[in-house]
Amino acid sequence: MAYSRKRNRRIFLGFMVPAILVLFCTTIYPMIYAGYLSFRSYDLAKLFVPRVFVGWANYREILSSSEFLHTLTVTFKLMLMTLSVQLVLGVGMALLVTQRLPGMGIIRTLLLIPMMISPVIVGLVWLFLYFPELGYLNYFLSFVGASPVPWITSTQWALWAIAIADIWQWTPFVMMGTAAALTSLSQEPYETARIDGNSNWEVFWHVTLPQIKPVLISLMFLRAIDAFKIYDIIFVLTKGGPGDTTEVLSMFIYRQSFTFWRMGVGAAASFVSLAIIVILITLFFKSLSRDPQPA
Amino acid sequence: MNKLGTRQTILVYLLLAIVLIVFLTPIYIIASSSVKPTPIMFQKPPALLFSPTWDHYIALFSDRPFAKFIGNSLIVALGSTAFSLTFGSLAAYAISRIKHRRMGDVAFWILSMRMFPPIAVVVPYYIIFKTVGLLDTPLALIIIYSTVNIPLTTWLMKGFFDEVPTALEEAAAVDGHGLLSSFWHVTLPLAAPGLAVSAVFCFIFSWNEFIFALMLTGSNAQTATVAVMSFWSSDAVQWGRIMAGSFIILIPGVIFVLTCQRWLVRGLTLGSVK
Amino acid sequence: MSSIQLRNVTKRYGQTEVVHEIDLDIAEREFVVLLGPSGCGKTTTLRMVAGLEDVSDGELSIGGRVVNDVAPKDRGVAMVFQNYALYPHMSVRQNMEFALRPLKLDKSEVNRRITDTADILGLGDLLERRPAQLSGGQRQRVAMGRAMVRTPGVFLFDEPLSNLDAKLRTQVRWEIAKLHKRLDSTILYVTHDQVEAMTLADRIVIMRDGYIEQTGTPEEVYAHPRNAFVATFIGSPAMNMVPATVREGQLAGDHVNLPVPGRLADRVAEGQRVTIGIRPPDVSLVDEGTAGALAATVEVTEYLGNEALLDIRIGSHEMIAEVPASRRPAEDSRVFVRFNSDAIRIFDAETGESVNA
Repeated sequence: MAYSRKRNRRIFLGFMVPAILVLFCTTIYPMIYAGYLSFRSYDLAKLFVPRVFVGWANYREILSSSEFLHTLTVTFKLMLMTLSVQLVLGVGMALLVTQRLPGMGIIRTLLLIPMMISPVIVGLVWLFLYFPELGYLNYFLSFVGASPVPWITSTQWALWAIAIADIWQWTPFVMMGTAAALTSLSQEPYETARIDGNSNWEVFWHVTLPQIKPVLISLMFLRAIDAFKIYDIIFVLTKGGPGDTTEVLSMFIYRQSFTFWRMGVGAAASFVSLAIIVILITLFFKSLSRDPQPA
Repeated sequence: MNKLGTRQTILVYLLLAIVLIVFLTPIYIIASSSVKPTPIMFQKPPALLFSPTWDHYIALFSDRPFAKFIGNSLIVALGSTAFSLTFGSLAAYAISRIKHRRMGDVAFWILSMRMFPPIAVVVPYYIIFKTVGLLDTPLALIIIYSTVNIPLTTWLMKGFFDEVPTALEEAAAVDGHGLLSSFWHVTLPLAAPGLAVSAVFCFIFSWNEFIFALMLTGSNAQTATVAVMSFWSSDAVQWGRIMAGSFIILIPGVIFVLTCQRWLVRGLTLGSVK
Repeated sequence: MSSIQLRNVTKRYGQTEVVHEIDLDIAEREFVVLLGPSGCGKTTTLRMVAGLEDVSDGELSIGGRVVNDVAPKDRGVAMVFQNYALYPHMSVRQNMEFALRPLKLDKSEVNRRITDTADILGLGDLLERRPAQLSGGQRQRVAMGRAMVRTPGVFLFDEPLSNLDAKLRTQVRWEIAKLHKRLDSTILYVTHDQVEAMTLADRIVIMRDGYIEQTGTPEEVYAHPRNAFVATFIGSPAMNMVPATVREGQLAGDHVNLPVPGRLADRVAEGQRVTIGIRPPDVSLVDEGTAGALAATVEVTEYLGNEALLDIRIGSHEMIAEVPASRRPAEDSRVFVRFNSDAIRIFDAETGESVNA
């Protein structure tokens, strides 16, 4: 039972104030400010044009521009590519590392390393591998009979080049979460299934998967939220190019704000991205509370 | 999961070998390229045996004040970690102990702050920091990184505080201790693993961060990630220096993985998997 | 040592009232046990005395001072928790030191108190150990030690023996009884185990559903239970309860027919539905034809050494008789029993109240 005298409650509230105050000043306030900017013409390139209230003009501009809609498509396409591969690969790897065999502990630990690396470094090392003419990736692929791929210079492959770097960094995340869920499963259904003579595949599909589904959903939302914000890797690998093939939403905002110095338009795009992320976050929290996690 | 036969065991190890090769090769490439002489950097087949050179590391520290940039990264990372642990743990303790049905909402609200896309607020930050003269200072980055690290710490520490039995605090209360004393002497020491995990995540996030550091710092407060990136330009890519810098930057992450992997799962999944 | 007074003390959680206007006076140095089934409000009452729960209504005083709004740390109480609540990151010595710190004693006094307490409780060799390195019984003693070093005016125990095995429980019970003599403290002790209550208490407070059912010495609550609940809760094995109706001076039930004992004759009314209460030792084996003999079947016998317990059936009633072991009949045999009429208690079937006194 809670130890909850009124006086303590006041102290507790006092504990919360600094964090909430800091978060308000550093997150809510800039967001409000971004909201304010999004309704103004704030063009640093044109110093002598007055920064006036322009109503919904910035929003109308981005929402009607094919360029902006294209960046949204690219963002979601990239999200779909990375998530689907990470899900399948991650679950597969989780099934491997949860086998009761010697050496699994150290293998799991080693596979955590990519997640701890700075995304810029990830981008740089993959740039090294993809590098036109020189990179080692095409050399490695030639052993399995593949012809050279112009990874970052062709409109056909550039998005995959980015996806592969992200998949490399974050598949271990899905593996780790799934492995943790798998190890916490009760053994009894497996023993029953084995006595009943079900095949391994049937057991996985009908016994294992339904049980780890809530965890997988939460993991996927976490990945989706991160994938939506992807920036560093693209900045290093393609800067949105070639052309605008890999121009995701974050890249669009960056370009509008810091290349064209159109802060108002950048802020309006930021607000659209905030709206989308709020939906994803809400879905993530729903996924957490709907199903009790297997303890 | 039932016991495997010999053939299946071999298959599992074989697949894992492939997985390990795929996921560790890029790290090996960073390490080896950082000590590879430039002429054989892209030699095919890759030279596995070569006499390592320290030239790239020497150049890294002599061309630019890379030591200063690492110092900046450390100041920013440690500063933000200290700041976030203090505020985050206090808020987490309150959220964990106040029994009120809206507390869940407050916790979710705080966590959601961590998930917002940084790029969406970088424009206002740029303008605000420019106005108050904080552009290109470590303090600007400490403040910004705390917006990610405070929510993370709050969320993680709440989980750890929830696991400290309230009976211990009640015992402290009847033993004559006030709330602050029991928090400091009883609850906090028992949640120490949580502080360690939170510290690791705050540190790594700040240490690795790039966008804000790129946009809000110049020559003065530049961090290591931005500095490494600056060896890459359209006319000349200095791979040796980039790899040497990258290797230095990835060291803390690797150390943390090897020393506290048991706790990292919980931190990375925000407690959705324990 | 301090006295404790509860005046109309009430506890509510939101709309639900869990402790209803309790009145209780505990004298200095008295050992009072709050006894009742789980959910009866005994622990909540104890926690209100400790200050861990707010008092919703009424007045709570310790040592003559109203403490409703006094923080636990300023009440001069010490408490032994059910799960001991030892600080796991501190050694036994540090646990005690931490409890003493608010008293701001000088170093030598702190050490003297810890050494003395450790001697009394036999913890001398364990002072540098962590709780995780102690057995259940040792942890229990550390919890008591941590409370004792503070030499509190009031000692609170919340089911302190419930996590110990049967043998240890008896042993620690003796130690607590000895400690009480030695410490001169006022003790408020919560348990659901009536044996603990009977052996330890100066006075027992029996609670149910947030009400006090009866307060009295162990002898009083055993011999003169005020109602059927207290009667069945106190005593082991429990008092036999036989439903009956008063007809023409007789207590008539299924295969049971007894004269209303003379002393109770004018306390029951013709046609009143009642429950006859008779404790197992007051059910004795008699020869057929003895006045008041009832025919019974022995279903199971339990041999306890000196005595034996018989599960007997009279008509549809199952009851327990306690007889000398040497006289126990064979199972499934037919016997005749008689209720000791001086020991018969009668409860109103509706209210459960005793008509005896």
